[in-house]
Order: sequence, then C-alpha cells, then structure tokens
Amino acid sequence: MNRIINYLFDVVRGVLFYFSQTKLRTALTLLGITVGVSSIIAIMTVLATFEKSTEQVVADVRTNVFYITRENPIEVSFGNNNKWTRNKPKITWSEYEQLKRSLKLIKNMSAVVSEEPSDRTFSVGKKEFKSRLQSFWAADGDMLSLYKYDIVDGRNIQNVDIQNRSRVAIIGSAIKDELFPYANPVGKEIKIDNIPFEIIALTDEKGEIAGQSMDSMVGIPISTYLKYFGGRWNRTDLQLVLESDSIENIDNATDEAIGVFRAIRKIPPGQPNNFYIATNDQLMDTFGEFTSYLTTFIGLITGISLLVAGIGIANIMLVSLNERIKEIGIRKALGARRSDIFMQFLIEAILISVLGGLVGIVLGLSFGNIVALFLEQEPVIPFEWVFYSLQICASMGIIFGLYPAIRASKLNPIDSMRYD
Amino acid sequence: MTKSRKEIIGIKSVSKIYNLGNTVVKALDNVSLSIFENDFISIMGPSGSGKSTLMNIIGCLDVPTKGSYKFNDEKISQMKDSQLADIRNQKIGFVFQTFNLLPKLNALQNVEVPLVYSNLNRYKRTEKAKEALKIVGLSNRINHKPNELSGGQRQRVAIARALVNKPSIILADEPTGNLDSKSGSEILNFFDDLHKAGNTLIIVTHEKSVAKRAKRRIEIFDGKITLDE
Repeated sequence: MNRIINYLFDVVRGVLFYFSQTKLRTALTLLGITVGVSSIIAIMTVLATFEKSTEQVVADVRTNVFYITRENPIEVSFGNNNKWTRNKPKITWSEYEQLKRSLKLIKNMSAVVSEEPSDRTFSVGKKEFKSRLQSFWAADGDMLSLYKYDIVDGRNIQNVDIQNRSRVAIIGSAIKDELFPYANPVGKEIKIDNIPFEIIALTDEKGEIAGQSMDSMVGIPISTYLKYFGGRWNRTDLQLVLESDSIENIDNATDEAIGVFRAIRKIPPGQPNNFYIATNDQLMDTFGEFTSYLTTFIGLITGISLLVAGIGIANIMLVSLNERIKEIGIRKALGARRSDIFMQFLIEAILISVLGGLVGIVLGLSFGNIVALFLEQEPVIPFEWVFYSLQICASMGIIFGLYPAIRASKLNPIDSMRYD
Repeated sequence: MTKSRKEIIGIKSVSKIYNLGNTVVKALDNVSLSIFENDFISIMGPSGSGKSTLMNIIGCLDVPTKGSYKFNDEKISQMKDSQLADIRNQKIGFVFQTFNLLPKLNALQNVEVPLVYSNLNRYKRTEKAKEALKIVGLSNRINHKPNELSGGQRQRVAIARALVNKPSIILADEPTGNLDSKSGSEILNFFDDLHKAGNTLIIVTHEKSVAKRAKRRIEIFDGKITLDE
C-alpha cells in the first residue's frame, strides 16, 4: 500500500513537473480532449435547459388538458410523417359534435383551428402589426380557460357569438402594446386581412416561454373563422382540446375519449387509432425521444473527436517515452520494477486526459450556461454528464496510455542508461 | 583472512554469450569469483574485455547465460525480473561514470528515487535521503539541481543515492572517469572512508592509479579473469 501511495505521489509530482517543462506541448495535447469534452458538456447543458423549459411550458398549460389531433404535432413539425398524415382522416365538425354529446368525464372541450404563426395582416386604421403573429386561433369553447389566459378587460367569446358568426376578437397584450399603446382596445376595431372585427377582450400578459411570446395572440369564434378564412364547414381539419374534470381523472378521461372516438369512426377492435391523442406526458415523451436522438448523434460526433484526441495522447506519450529512455533506465537500475514504470506512464496518460477533461467540463458548463442565460433560463449543471465525461477521460487515458506504458516497462536498463 | 568473512557474492563458472547474427561473442567465459564482506575490489581491463558484462551481472542488471550466481545465498541466476529489481533496490548501490542523476530533480529528490521503490512513507524517505546527503557532506546543497552542482558534487549526490538503502555492496563503474583529478581523488578518498566504515566496494576502472587504491585487484581480459590478488 505504501508503495502505491509513494509512487502515486511521486508520479503526480513528476507529471505536473513534466507538464510545466513542456507547457505548449501539454496544452496542445489537452486541447483535443478539452474541445471534445467541452462540446459534450455544453450541448448537454443546453439540452437540459431546453428540457427544463419544455417542462415549464407543459406545466403551464393545465395538466388535466389533452388533445385529439389528426397527427402528432411534434412529429409533423419535424417533417417526417407526411405519408401517414395523408392516410388519416381529418377531424370533422360532426365527429366533434358526436364526441361532445357522448363524453361524461370532460368538463370543458373545444374544437380549435389555429395558425401558429399566422401570416395574415392585423391592422388598426393604417397601422399594421409588424411582426408575425405567433398564434391566431379560432374556437367554439372556452379557450381562455383551457390555455390559462386571464381577461384584463372585456368579455369572453359566448355561444351567441358562435351561432351568429360574429366578427369579434380577443387580443393578447402584445397586440395592444403595439397597436393601442395609449388606449383601451376593448370596443375598438381591428382588421384581420382587412375584415373588421370588434375587440371584445384583452388578456393579461403571460410573457415568453422558450423564446416565444404568449401574448402575440388573436382569437375569434370558430364559426366566424370558417366563414371568412376557412374552407367548407365539414372539410376543415379540427384540433380538439379537452379538459377532464380533475387531474386525477385524466387517464380515465383519455381512455373514454379514445373509446368514444373509435366508436364514432367505427374502428374495429385490434386496428390502430387513425387519430392522435396527446396528453402532456406524451408531448414530453416525444420531446424526450427527440433529445435522445440528438444525444446519440452528438455522442457519435464527440466520440470521433475524442478518438482523435486519444490518438494525440498516445502519440505524445510515445514522444515523452523516447525523451525519457535514459530516465527509465536509471529508475530501473535503482530498483523500479516493470510494473512501476508501467504505472508511471499509465497514470501520466490518465492525468493528461482527466486534466483535459476537467478544463473541458469547466468550459462546457460556462458556454452552455451562457446560452441558457441568453434563452433566459436558469443555469443547469448536467451532473451525470460531468460524471460520464470524467469516466470517458479516465478510460481514454487507460486505453491510449496502455501501449506506450507497456513499451516503457519493457525497456532494458543497461541499454536505456546509455541512451542519449 | 578472507575465510572468516561472510561471502556476499558467489559466482561459479559463469558465461555470458551474445549471439550477434552469425558471430557468437563470449563476453564472459567460465568466470568464477567470490566477493566477501568489506572487500574493496577493483576490476580492471581494456574495453571489450568483459568487465562491463561482469559488472552488469554482479549488479543484477543482467543474468548469465550459463553458471550460477549467488548473492547473500540467494540464487540470482534463477530470479524473475521484478525480484532482480528488488535486489538492485535493496542490496546494491550503483555509482556511474556519468552520474546518471535525473536532471529535473534536485539533490534530495534524486537521493529519494531508490526509496520511492521501497516501502517507505514520504517523511521517512526525506529523512533517510537527508541523512545520506549528510554523509557525503552535501547537507547545504539539497535543493540544488544537478546542473547547479560541480562534477564532484554530482558524484557525491550519486554516492548518497547509492548509500541511501544501506546496500550490501556498492558498485562503482568508472566513478572518476568524468572528473578532474582533484575531485577524482576526493571521491576515491571518500571510497576509502566507506571501506573503513565497513562497506563492501567494487570499482570498475581502466586507470591503474584508481585500481591501486583497492585492497584486492582483479584483471579481466577476453572474458577471463587473468589476475586476482
């Protein structure tokens, strides 16, 4: 045991001294590992930040809310499911009405058509809303309650508005700030693609989530939307937003909705759903799937860069071996065993890579959290990745230090001492 | 007189044969030699005579091709690499012509090197190394690097390193070869002192003046001992 502690201490001291003698070379060797590790850590920090903010988004929308859509919106937005979408029927108004009549565990439900973002023009007088509107939606139910908006002034959309296809609109605070900076917008007129609407409500400021303003929003009755902007009543693809009577009941409510909707569409048992039902958990799962693909991809790339860095270590260890043949000979003559020399070189390689890893972790955390700050997220430390990185570095030191260490340990003391 | 002393080294019919392609070189040819406690021996011979090979075998840096070698009644000729390393570490103190100090380490750290490979903690190591440096009269130079010391001082650091594990023999290979005559005779005087203090010394040299200082002189030529007096 003493022997081990002795040469651990000796080796660490020796290696640090050696590093101080060959600063540039050591720095360049470290650089390879540092770059690899810092990119892992930076990306993992950013991903952890995203995951956190997505959880926040989902938690922000009431957790007893779920959705029925034609297709998984996240997968569609990654653009890989066009074929599926073509095969699945649109969700129609009559399906919605049948569903609404049959469901018992749902306290609030709405059919929604939304444009996110919307390319329509929103103007007051000659003044136009300049940026793209993040969300232009049309619904028949109480969307404000489903999406947790509070009304500052005015009234919600009511059944009579839907029946009459009234040109009424609810606006978010970003619209008010730009188009009515000094006036109360309620009761005033806003033109959507030059069609005049009466503003009936202004919602409270919600701020940004994941870099998207929740206040850049305009909502109108769904009947009005279909009359002025949509196609034919039964041809428009609807999204259904449903709210169970309690959070505890969401699983039952989801099951009920699936069962009833299958019955409406007369899907025989054993056949898959030809619609998509999304709870918040599922949205999180989809996001998790996406991040795990990303993680694998990044892992592959950093793996290659670490391999290159590892070859750099092996190379530098061979160079330092050649420089120290005489020293090894002397140490062997003075009683160093093969295993002592072997350990000395192996520990040196491990120290180089772990040191490079530590620098990389510090850089990666700083960089990742600077990105997090820009996204206005709280700083995160992905501890498991810090741990993995150190593990990877240590094993790289072992793998790439092995060959030089074996060569060093096999040197013959007589010849090595004469070497210059 | 030699009978009453303990035999440290017993070499019997040792040969060392090198195969260099087509030619076979007999560096040592059937050599037998006994070395006793508190001997002061010089081994002389021209280059290529086999004296370095003999020294390497005595120093456990090399093993004989034929014959037997006993060191303190232990059979060296059958030992494994790691056992040889331990013998070198514990029983043999080396002094080399070119000093062979580690240039990056200071005097104290250089003397500590053999102790690194024995079971000693840091404090004991430093203590023992300081003691050895005191014996060679370099207590005031312990923090100097080899390149900050004179040739004679470097060789004294090397001697301190050889002494630090209290070895059974001290093996010096041309210890004055790289020194001016003044430092050389200082070192030789120091060897005399070590002999008087009870140490066993073997000096390999090609200088007659150095060889004369020893109490027993061995000459070697063409792999054979030609003189032992």
